[in-house]
Parts: sequence; structure tokens; C-alpha cells
Amino acid sequence: MEKTVEKTLVIQRYNPEQDQRPSQQRYQVPFDNSTSVLDALLYIQQSLDPSLAFRWSCRMAICGSCSVMVNGIPKLGCKTFLREYSGDLLLEPLAHFATEKDLVSDMTLFLQHLQAVKPYLIRQEQSAATTPATKPQPHKQTPKQLAKYRKFSSCINCGLCYAACPQFGLNPEFLGPAALTLAQRYNLDNRDQGKAERMPQLNGKNGVWGCTFVGFCSDVCPKHLDPAAAVNQGKVASATDFVIGLFKP
Amino acid sequence: MNQPKRSDEPIWWALFSAGGVCFAVVIPGLLLTIALLYPLGVLPENALNYQQVQQWLLQDWWGLAGLALAGAAICLPLFHAMHRIHHGLHDLKLSSGLLGKILCYSSASLFSALALYFWWQGLG
Amino acid sequence: MSEQHSPRRPYLAPLTASWWLKHRYYRFYMLREATVLPLLFFCGCLIAGFYSLQQGEQSWLNWLSFMAQPWVMALNALTFAASLFHAKTFFELFPRVMPLLPAPLMIAGQWLGTIAVAALLLLLLGGVL
Repeated sequence: MEKTVEKTLVIQRYNPEQDQRPSQQRYQVPFDNSTSVLDALLYIQQSLDPSLAFRWSCRMAICGSCSVMVNGIPKLGCKTFLREYSGDLLLEPLAHFATEKDLVSDMTLFLQHLQAVKPYLIRQEQSAATTPATKPQPHKQTPKQLAKYRKFSSCINCGLCYAACPQFGLNPEFLGPAALTLAQRYNLDNRDQGKAERMPQLNGKNGVWGCTFVGFCSDVCPKHLDPAAAVNQGKVASATDFVIGLFKP
Repeated sequence: MNQPKRSDEPIWWALFSAGGVCFAVVIPGLLLTIALLYPLGVLPENALNYQQVQQWLLQDWWGLAGLALAGAAICLPLFHAMHRIHHGLHDLKLSSGLLGKILCYSSASLFSALALYFWWQGLG
Repeated sequence: MSEQHSPRRPYLAPLTASWWLKHRYYRFYMLREATVLPLLFFCGCLIAGFYSLQQGEQSWLNWLSFMAQPWVMALNALTFAASLFHAKTFFELFPRVMPLLPAPLMIAGQWLGTIAVAALLLLLLGGVL
């Protein structure tokens, strides 16, 4: 048997029913090469302190629930391993969001911003209900057309990019990296016809123009989909839309 | 749903981008030659003599080289710089209002106009 | 509304003006943005240069000796470093904003532009052209 090695996790605690402000609590957690931050949190909850609150679900970096700040950097708990850190780990809830309890953040703003850009395929054509004579046709897409937006399509809505974005921290009205990336993803999709509905959101000061290309969002994105590039490509699209707008009544 | 007001940022962003290209492509060579190597005496003594520079910037080609230099090394970089300062003030929580924006872009406009005025006077 | 009885009391940590000091990445961003401060100084020098050029030869000579003052040269050396740092960051951002060609090609092309301008000025002022 391997000797048990322990690591110290310093976790920000906040109980809205008792605490005025968050405080920190230390836990000793045994770990090996395969212990993730999420595993450590589950160990604490099951063996040391059942009152610790945090979100999690899939344990394989696809649900985007277990986002936390590890030593000040936004991370997915399931994709971050204790072995990567030489000293203690400081775990805090996502920056720039309000904390509900312990490591659980209030993601309402994030979801509202996602909703604002209509991140789904929009078709202008009549639906099958209005013209029952014509059967709905599948929307075809070539590999080349797929490649145009594919790199922006793997967002898991984990919110790490918002915790990395100082512009969202400074101005919570800023639509933020993930929402603007999704807007760009659908605007680039040849099956979509909703660009005209999305552009007004992008054109505002809280749309693409709230971004100053800090670029940290792309660094922390667990799916490497370069949100900073998507947002700034959105600036080109918005600037083009601006020029077109000058010539339209 | 209420639609947000269209931002005028595309204008400032376009000027910022053009100025950024000038800052990256034109300014390093200019600094290297006239601000570092010439004062150090590496370039010939008469490289920047009055008649020569007058002719390059204000006489040949109706002074278009001078206009291009003023545009690429003064006006556009000024808009680039003041755009970053405008957003930097917001980043530092010093200003996010209209006043800072007006001050930043009007000073860039004023000093650009000044540079172009001196060029125009020189043509004279 | 039931909200009145809700035990919810979300806590939002205030973002202080010194947020950018807390992480290496943010400090790098602020350094990038700060490259425009020495640039403003050099723009001021050039405006003065245009002024003195139309004022006459003596004024032009005064400007040249101003440009040769040690503190001015020191500031311009700083501006030179800032311009190269800006160029590096700007050239790397460009292919992400406008992905026209493979990124390394676009970055190399832009550096070629910077080198070409510097070479042209060197040849012109060196008396070769």
C-alpha cells in the first residue's frame, strides 16, 4: 500500500442564514495522482463536513457544473488535479458572480445573457404547420460550412470565462464571452437566419463593444474554443453592420 | 424585448485599429532612426538637415509624404492611445462616463488637427 | 411575494480598482494597454518636430538637439521597447480577429512590414537611397 499523502484545502465558506460575509475553513484531504478537486470536495462532504455546499454532476468536463476558483483561477473541479499544486489549494466560488452558499454561485445573470443572444437556430421559412402540403426539408450543411463555426460550438456553459473576464466583473450588464461566442457561432451557421435578430444585442455597448480583448477567457476555457477571438470577430461583424446601417434609412 | 442602443464604438475601434497598425509597423522604425540612431551619431550628420527634411515632407509630391507621416505617426496613433486610455480609465474604475470619453477623443482630435495645421503651414 | 421569506442572501464580493494586480495575466494586459503612455510622448515629440520644421532652420536645429537630450533619448528608448511589445501582442491578436490566412503566416507578414519600414528609413537616412 502506498503511504497516504495529505493536502490542505482552504475553502471559502458562506452560509447566508448565519454569516455576514464569507470566511475560510481548512481541510486535510488524502490524495493520490488521480484525485481531482471535485473528488476532494466529495471526500470532505462525505467524510469530514456534510454542510459543505458545491455543484457537480458529470465528473467528465461536459456538464459545466463544478466550476470553482482554484488559487484565484477559474477551473472545472473535475478537470483539475491536486497533484498539479505544490502547496495548499484555495477554493472559492466563481469570481464576478454572487455567492449563494459556500462554492455555489448565482448564475442567473449568465443565463439571462445567454438567452439575450438567442443561441439557437432561427429559420424565417413558414413552418410545416402553416403549409402542410410541403414536407419540411432537412437543412443541409457541407463540411466546409460546418468548419466555419465548429470551433465555437463546444461551449458547456460552465461560466469560467465570466469569472476570468474583468469587463464582466466591472460591468455585469456586459453580455460576456460565452453569450457573445454563442451569438457568433449561430451567426456563422449557414442553416441559421437569425443574425438580424441577434445583431442589435451585439451592437450595444454591453454587446461586443464591452470587450477590451483581455483574452484571459480563452486561457481558462476548458473546451479551448477561444471566446476572445469569437467576441472580436463579432466586433468586425458589428462594425460592418454599423457601416451598412449608415446607408439604410 | 427592448433593444439596446447602437454603440458608436465602431468609429473609435476603427481608428484604434488603424492606429494600432501604425504603432506596430511605422513607429518602431521611426523611433529607431530619428529618435535613437541619429542622436547617437550612427547615421550621417546631414541625414536630417533642414533643407533635406523640408523637401521630403513639405515640397516633393505636394507635401504628401509629410501628410502621410503626420497621419501614420501622429493622428492615428493618438486615436489608438486615447482609445486605450479611455478604456483603461474604466478598467481602473476612475471613469466610465461620457466626460472621460469626450475628453479622450477630443484631445486626440485637437492634437491631430494641430499636427495637420503645422504641416499645412509648412507647405506655405 | 415569497421572496420576502427567502433565506437567499447572495454575497457579491466587490471588485476593487486594484483587481489587475492580482493575476499575472491581468498585469500583462495592463502593461499592453500602458504601451500607449510612452507613445503619447513620442507623438508629442513629432508634433513639436512638425512645428519647428515650419518655423525655420534654427527652430529645426533646436528640435534636433532636444531629441538628442539624454532624458528624451531614454524616454524614446522606452517607447521603442513599448512599440515592439505592442507589435508582438497586436500581430498575434490580428489573425484571431480576422482569420484570413494561417496565423503564423499572418504574424510573420506583419513583422516583415515593420522590418521593411525600418529598413527603408535606415537606407533613406543613411544616404543609400
